[in-house]
Amino acid sequence: MPTHSGAHGQKGESALMIHGKRPQLSPVAHLGEATLRFVGDTGAMFLFLLEASARIFSSLGQFHKTVRQIYFIGVKSISVITLIGLFTGMVIGLQMHYALAKFGAEGFLGAAVALSLVRELGPVLTAIMITGRAGSSMTAEIGVMRITDQVDALRVMDINPIGYLVSPKLAASIICFPILTAFFDMVGMAGGYLTGVLLLGGNQGIYFYRIQAYMKMSDVSGGFIKSLVFAVVVCTVTCFMGYYTHTRRDAVGPEAVSQATTAGVVSSCILILLSDYILTSLLF
Amino acid sequence: MLQGTTPDIRLEGLTVGYGKTAVVSGIDVTLPGGKISVILGGSGCGKSTLLKHILMLQPALAGRIMIGSHDLAGLDRRGMHCLRQRMGVLFQDGALLGSLSLGDNVALPLREHTRLDEAAIRQRVLAKLALVGLEEFHDYYPNELSGGMRKRAGLARAMVMDPPLLFCDEPTSGLDPVNAAELDLLLLELKGSFEMTLVVVSHDLDSMRTIADHVVVLGEGKVLYNGPLAELEATTDEYLRRFLDRQAAARTSPRLTMPALDFKAMKRDCSKYLDQGERS
Repeated sequence: MPTHSGAHGQKGESALMIHGKRPQLSPVAHLGEATLRFVGDTGAMFLFLLEASARIFSSLGQFHKTVRQIYFIGVKSISVITLIGLFTGMVIGLQMHYALAKFGAEGFLGAAVALSLVRELGPVLTAIMITGRAGSSMTAEIGVMRITDQVDALRVMDINPIGYLVSPKLAASIICFPILTAFFDMVGMAGGYLTGVLLLGGNQGIYFYRIQAYMKMSDVSGGFIKSLVFAVVVCTVTCFMGYYTHTRRDAVGPEAVSQATTAGVVSSCILILLSDYILTSLLF
Repeated sequence: MLQGTTPDIRLEGLTVGYGKTAVVSGIDVTLPGGKISVILGGSGCGKSTLLKHILMLQPALAGRIMIGSHDLAGLDRRGMHCLRQRMGVLFQDGALLGSLSLGDNVALPLREHTRLDEAAIRQRVLAKLALVGLEEFHDYYPNELSGGMRKRAGLARAMVMDPPLLFCDEPTSGLDPVNAAELDLLLLELKGSFEMTLVVVSHDLDSMRTIADHVVVLGEGKVLYNGPLAELEATTDEYLRRFLDRQAAARTSPRLTMPALDFKAMKRDCSKYLDQGERS
């Protein structure tokens, strides 16, 4: 995570360091500094999210920007989601058929494929795919704007950069993630049908009947809630990393953008899996 | 706030820097209203940092900044909005938004802060682009323009709200002498045509000599000179003289005292290697 340069640091001459000199820290002090940094960054990320959320409806212009982001995050992700969803469903169909056949329960293939997709794999894989495709680009876009003074230019024009850059992305993510997840689930079930019914000779009627019989509304709503949470997590983390590119200690300039992009994608993926576990424990 | 005035900018006991690190301290300077003040200094002396503090992009480490009668530290959110809408800023590389056309870039402050209809916005944008000689490039994107054009477009955007305060960060850096001279003339024209206070951060001496009414020289972490251009030109201060006359400081560089590379031996080794290659 990036570290803030402490622009709001202590005031007064006594608190100032001599230009260019950094104090030597012991290992314990390093650990303490890293902990403080983590807590500070986590808090900053929440404030970032709050500000972005508060500015979603700040003006009519936000609507047009949000539509553009829906096109970028949602429409342009459909092909990759279709491909990944289809193959995921096909693989689950194969594997589940193999496992269920051992118990003579091939007839439950439809339910097994649908439940795995709707409760778990659909929201998680969709979120990870969008992180790779759109999240990385969000970090890079905002990061480049930061290092080329475009964010400062917005500020001096009295345009809130978070409202201008992040809020439309957040709104678009909240709209697109559940829709893309539903699309992924649907294509995945079709993939399971391809392998389980058409390839391995399962019964078509039973495949769909079991899906209908065993799928509850809570399964669908649970997956829907997960995708909403992932939308907020992915958008917040990737945009936050881009927005604070200039405060990174490990690199400056274009290298900082690339580091921020990597950090944004990795942190998002970790947080998707972490929050997935928590949500699964709470929801089901 | 600042309506119809060309305010002074007073820096009182100001210390600027990043985090806890002070870059320039003890700044007591008044940048006069209605004039062009040039903040001059070598690379890394804190010119741009000082500008970022005046633009309220960073809080001061100590001291205060007064624009007219307003203390920037004491401004509430509304005051900040009012002041920022009366400031224009030309960033070093123009800082145009890459996703917007030139026209949309210049129109951005009008769309965000005024209730003008699109026809009025377009008319105003074209007038400002004409001011910098870019009206034909209204639909171009920043990546389709040269560095000098991007700077002029940045200037048009900075001017679109007719601000009484205009700040320019290194306006001539990276430009060829002709483009740099044109930009200087443009700044002089702006000062002559509109009532405004201009603050220009630069290390370009030619540019400074062309446009400056008032000069502040930064160096060694402090203000080395603050006054009119004519007095600066007559200074006898050794550091300033060297800076103004573009003389390199006398130094004993370690690289000059290092033993020279043995090129003869290298050549000998290479010849031996090449001879072996030919024989085999």
